Amino acid sequence: MVDTAAIPPSRPLGETYDPGAFYDEMFEATGKPRLHYQALAEELGRLSFEEFEERRRAVELSFVNQGIGFTVYGQEEGIERIFPFDLIPRVIPGPEWDLLERGLLQRVRALNLFLNDVYREQRIVRDGKIPGELLFGARHFMREMIGVDPPGGVYAHVTGVDVIRDDQGVYLVLEDNLRVPSGASYMLENRAAMKRTFSQLFERHGVAGIDHYPQELLAVLNAVAPASARGDLTVVLLTPGVHNSAYFEHSFLARQMGIELVEGSDLVCHEDVVYMRTTRGLQRVDVIYRRIDDDFLDPLIFRRESLLGAAGLFNAYRAGNVTIANAPGTGVADDKAVYPYVPEMIRYYLSEEPLLPQVKTFLGTDESELAYILEHLEELVVKTVDGSGGYGMLIGPVSTAKERASFKRRIKAAPREFIAQPTIALSRLPIYVDEFRPAHIDLRPFVLSGRITSVVPGGLTRAAMEAGSLVVNSSQGGGSKDTWVLRD
Amino acid sequence: MLSRVAESLYWTARSIERAENTSRLVGVSFHGLLDARVSDPKQEWRDLLRAMGRDDLFREHFAEYTPNAVTEFLLWHPSNPDTVTACVARARENLRGVREQISSEMWEHLNRLHLLVARARPSRVLQAPHEFLVRVREGSHAFQGVTKATLSQGEAYEFLELGAHLERADATTRVLLTSAPTLVAQPVDRLSSLLRSCGGFEAFRRHESQEVQGQLVAQFLLLDRSFPRSVLFCAERCLEAVQVISGDSEQPERSLGMLVARLAFADVSQLEAPNLGPLLDEVLTGVHAVGSELSGAYFATRVVLPGPYAQQQQQQ
Repeated sequence: MVDTAAIPPSRPLGETYDPGAFYDEMFEATGKPRLHYQALAEELGRLSFEEFEERRRAVELSFVNQGIGFTVYGQEEGIERIFPFDLIPRVIPGPEWDLLERGLLQRVRALNLFLNDVYREQRIVRDGKIPGELLFGARHFMREMIGVDPPGGVYAHVTGVDVIRDDQGVYLVLEDNLRVPSGASYMLENRAAMKRTFSQLFERHGVAGIDHYPQELLAVLNAVAPASARGDLTVVLLTPGVHNSAYFEHSFLARQMGIELVEGSDLVCHEDVVYMRTTRGLQRVDVIYRRIDDDFLDPLIFRRESLLGAAGLFNAYRAGNVTIANAPGTGVADDKAVYPYVPEMIRYYLSEEPLLPQVKTFLGTDESELAYILEHLEELVVKTVDGSGGYGMLIGPVSTAKERASFKRRIKAAPREFIAQPTIALSRLPIYVDEFRPAHIDLRPFVLSGRITSVVPGGLTRAAMEAGSLVVNSSQGGGSKDTWVLRD
Repeated sequence: MLSRVAESLYWTARSIERAENTSRLVGVSFHGLLDARVSDPKQEWRDLLRAMGRDDLFREHFAEYTPNAVTEFLLWHPSNPDTVTACVARARENLRGVREQISSEMWEHLNRLHLLVARARPSRVLQAPHEFLVRVREGSHAFQGVTKATLSQGEAYEFLELGAHLERADATTRVLLTSAPTLVAQPVDRLSSLLRSCGGFEAFRRHESQEVQGQLVAQFLLLDRSFPRSVLFCAERCLEAVQVISGDSEQPERSLGMLVARLAFADVSQLEAPNLGPLLDEVLTGVHAVGSELSGAYFATRVVLPGPYAQQQQQQ
């Protein structure tokens, strides 16, 4: 004890940490924390390395014991991994969050109106705001959804909007995830771990609570039940099963909401009604919070070989006897080639100016932009339009000539499949991996849409744990942090 | 409750209980062998394997009945589907699929047991099996205790109870069956280890002030109504569980009722050779019948389509 106390307390983080040339969330310069991080820096500075390491281990152990992890594809052994968690929280001052919140709600409202329009009148196409071929050629555009009437006109009930900050600290929307965004359970578990580990920090900061997320989600699911549903609603969470990478989350959310976690084989459809098989026979299902992709929902309509969904599910949905959340076909709105048009959607549907800027995007479909992409591959990040999870990206500045040549060929062959964006110098925050060092981060808040649109204050802050890496996805070795929205 | 969930819970409980029973049996055998009086240690190990119905499988893979061979075979040998390791892994796999139905504490305890077993180094365990075996049993008890302390006593709880008690009834009956022909003639130390194999030595001592006699041991392990590992106790507990699960009189309830009645009204004379063996056979058959009826009644996919049944469910 005497030894650890002898280490000058603030040195480890406060004095030696070098924020470098990027926008650092915590430090303006070495030893100079930003105002809203001062209390945190002081408090952390009081801990010795040993004490910090001890707490880190305690959290890790509790994650191992609780089996909080995710599955990595393509590895036979040890497929369950613990989601790396970092103890230094991200802090967002109240006024900053207020802007974010308004911007996120505005964006998701516009996206839902857009989906409603795409699958009905397609006014936005007729008014020439978005080229029709872009929409109808999108991989996740779903012909079968045309004319379907989801309760309340809500398509994306849960949206994970990925937000980044550039080298000036400006918040930018990087992408909208409207299909089956995951991460909410980590947001909640991270908070629980932080409360256990640093309870005294919470006393000093006024951190906005997020524990009500599952209740809010359940309220949304109840609110969008089919009009025909009677009596006690049966809401279920549909999971692909234990071997899915996000299974922990499915199980966690079902438990928190007190609803059944079902697999496709638990469901049976008859005369356009969905039932689940129980120990007392069949029970009618009203709302399905599905965590499987569109393609796997119903082997009669989509992929025939899918065992994950239920035969007849889509017809039951079309008949208005069950609600599927998120609705099938929402992926057309998070197609990366549609993304550049989101500000236009906000103006078109809401007659408002977008509150949050987004990243400049070059489309393969536009001839001059395509030429620009091909000439500037070294500076750009190239993504496939329907990709997710950080798979299959080209990050120009760190790419090899061979990779660029291969992308060049692929882009020329199928320009609709690719977009490119300038490489953003993501903001950084200290992480602790044997020492304190900076890591690039992003933020995924979860926006809920039922009768109203809302967002819990905070989200999942993901950090690229590998030194220098810009990719924060958990499947690519990213970790996460607790996110504090301050309520002064 | 979903059929799949019910089945997973049932098998979770059965698998944990099986791991516990196996580790107890191995522990008791080790302990017994330390006594000089044991004339034929091979026979001891063989009886143990017979009680578990695994003697043939053992001989396919091992030439000799050595303590290390039997321990290896029962704790982690890949040929044996019921090793302690396999049972715990199976329990965890089952529980993983139904985590939202149970308390986080239950999951954590089972996960800890799994880590203990999966990370154990065979060479270390063989050097000092006692400590390992005790920790497996403790893991099982901790899981059961935390279940009782944290899980609402609804359908999920009852399916866990059902699995654990049916497995226990099965195990106790099997242990008795191995020594049934000669039970009355067994020396006191053998009877004591028989009681220990069922975790009932201390309970028996408190219950019976008399000397340890074969017939009293059989009576205690089969018919005692307060000892939680006796066959009658377990059968009654299963019956209660089934009654909570479904109000209607279904097949498993009838079979369990008959099993309970058979035991409750057993004549003391039936606990002696040559009647004891047939009685135990009858009980074991009953236990197995209940197992398959449970699966027919609750787990097998019963799709009743179309018609009034589904509509009736709709209105509920």
